[in-house]
Amino acid sequence: MLLDENTRVLVQGITGRIGSIQTKYMLEYHTNVVAGVTPGKGGMRVHSVPVFDTVQEAVKETGANASVFFVPAPGVLDAFYETVDAGIRLIVVVPEHVPVHDVMKMKEYAKEKGVVALGPTTPGLLVPNLGKMGIMPASLFRPGRVGIVSRSGTLSYEFAGILSDHGAGQSTVVGMGADPVVLTNLVEILRLFEEDPKTEGIIIVGEVGGEQEEMAAAYIKAHVTKPVAAYIAGRLSPQGKRMGHAGAMIRGEKGSWDGKVAAFREVGVDILRSPIEAGQWVKAKGLTGA
Amino acid sequence: MRLQEYEAKEIFKTYGIPVPEFRVVRDPEAALRAGLDLGLPVMLKAQVLVGGRGKAGGVLKCETPEEVLTFSEELFRREIKGLVPKELMVEKACEVEKEIYLGCAVDGYEGRPVLILSKRGGVDVEDVFRRHPEKVNKFPLPIDGGFLPYQARGLSKELGFSGEGMLSISKVIYLLVKVFYEYEALLAEINPLGVSSGGDSICLDAVLEVDNAALKRIRANLPNPATRIENPIERKGREIGVTYVDLDGDIGIISSGAGLGMCSMDIIGDRLRPANFLETGGGITEELLYRCMELVTMKPNLRAIFINVYGGINPIHEGAKGVVRFIREKGLKIPIVAKALGNRQEETWEILRSGGVEVVEETDTESAVKRLCEILERGRS
Repeated sequence: MLLDENTRVLVQGITGRIGSIQTKYMLEYHTNVVAGVTPGKGGMRVHSVPVFDTVQEAVKETGANASVFFVPAPGVLDAFYETVDAGIRLIVVVPEHVPVHDVMKMKEYAKEKGVVALGPTTPGLLVPNLGKMGIMPASLFRPGRVGIVSRSGTLSYEFAGILSDHGAGQSTVVGMGADPVVLTNLVEILRLFEEDPKTEGIIIVGEVGGEQEEMAAAYIKAHVTKPVAAYIAGRLSPQGKRMGHAGAMIRGEKGSWDGKVAAFREVGVDILRSPIEAGQWVKAKGLTGA
Repeated sequence: MRLQEYEAKEIFKTYGIPVPEFRVVRDPEAALRAGLDLGLPVMLKAQVLVGGRGKAGGVLKCETPEEVLTFSEELFRREIKGLVPKELMVEKACEVEKEIYLGCAVDGYEGRPVLILSKRGGVDVEDVFRRHPEKVNKFPLPIDGGFLPYQARGLSKELGFSGEGMLSISKVIYLLVKVFYEYEALLAEINPLGVSSGGDSICLDAVLEVDNAALKRIRANLPNPATRIENPIERKGREIGVTYVDLDGDIGIISSGAGLGMCSMDIIGDRLRPANFLETGGGITEELLYRCMELVTMKPNLRAIFINVYGGINPIHEGAKGVVRFIREKGLKIPIVAKALGNRQEETWEILRSGGVEVVEETDTESAVKRLCEILERGRS
């Protein structure tokens, strides 16, 4: 899902320390990385991948149609406009600390142009044995039929690792991004999993705060036919200091562990109290095997 | 980072939002001088970064010089939701007829700013939100500015105001939205905005929370966020770029990623008591993990440390060297259990084991916590 045999990956910020090493890992996982972009470094090669000054050139020369960002946070907004304007419709924004007002602009532009964008602060996207865009450590993943979507990066690895140990592979693993505003909401990822013929069950890895899970529960009730399980991190987290009143107002009092779990239970989503329970869940649902 | 009320008011004032005359003081004598200078009655307001300050007794009205002295002495000693104020605002008391609520915030789900208005504001505004949502107006704002004065007038009208009141409120709405954009705020709030019988508006309390990720490009003199953190270990954490949360127990937790950290805390918390929670983010180096160990062990009476990290973006083998260097240099004796998976995991395990760290090779946090419990049990018997 999202990433397939026709995906030609561009790496933005490829000449940086992280961009370069992660490109190596993506190539080792047989991802079809066709180009890199770092303004001012056009003409170089990184792990034999050609580097261009602009996204437009990279697209023209290599047919890149998806991009993963290792761009410094203050430069992400500009890079995002450049990438969308060059016609790319799948973007993974790995960096953390991107200003929220920039993310709001990116989200609106992505919606307007029909772009699927993950992040910021996302480990990206991985389809076992096919490729990955981002930083997921490949050794933990196995091909199979379970889709994972996670708000937390490292917990997506934990769940993939546990499923792999229990003989249940993954169809696609998606990191949504951990920021208060993300470019693509959980509901939209669930829609993709529901439509994906290779996904037969879905695990949602959520966490306290925000209202992604509450909105997802309403969506699942109306639109999702595949079995769904959810884990919510932060059951024992101390309540954050409340900042003013407006947060409580925007869509009522939401965001607590109890509230999210209740919302999921009500629509028939199985609740996992600990990641290890994912192993029993895939067995019970017959989702083991490739 | 949330600013103190007086800092927010100083900013609002430079934009032309009317605020009462005030002084900021650090002792009762200065409070008295400020009170006499401003003219009584005055309000004394504890400068603490918590919500519900008024209800917690952090705001007092003084009619006489004696009251200014006694009440300020009281406030400098009073704990308000766990915080004792270092500064008080002494503010000229205002006669107002109505108190309304104005807030401009980021709607995280929709990813856009939203303006929230209620003609009933003040300390009970959350009750109004809960019980009478129909009395609250919400207005989605454009994402990059472009909010116009006529729209502010329309909103002010919808609140039921006319004449001078409508004009003065719409001006404040317009300016508050301007502050929100120009300071890249997550929240800009006036609660309450006082409206006098003559229709004048005045900002009686102010909240401004700015996005730490945008601080460098906001052209204004804003404080360093680290200086706003009360707990000294939490403050040191901010200084080295990690998130540290102080808790009551005796098991230290270091994780790479907030989700994994919360998950570790949930599993540990079912059987043991976490002492703290340190989340490294994506910038692990040898030095950073050394510093993380230093922070976590600043907590007295620690029984064990639990490390849960993944090598995705993080070079965990480098981090492992920092952990081991710390153990050796400090002669750390308490048990350390580590789960470290992903890129270069075998190398990481070897380094950790060389420092006496108990490495768990299983993929699930549950197993690692089980091991931690076993080790602590064994230590006890």
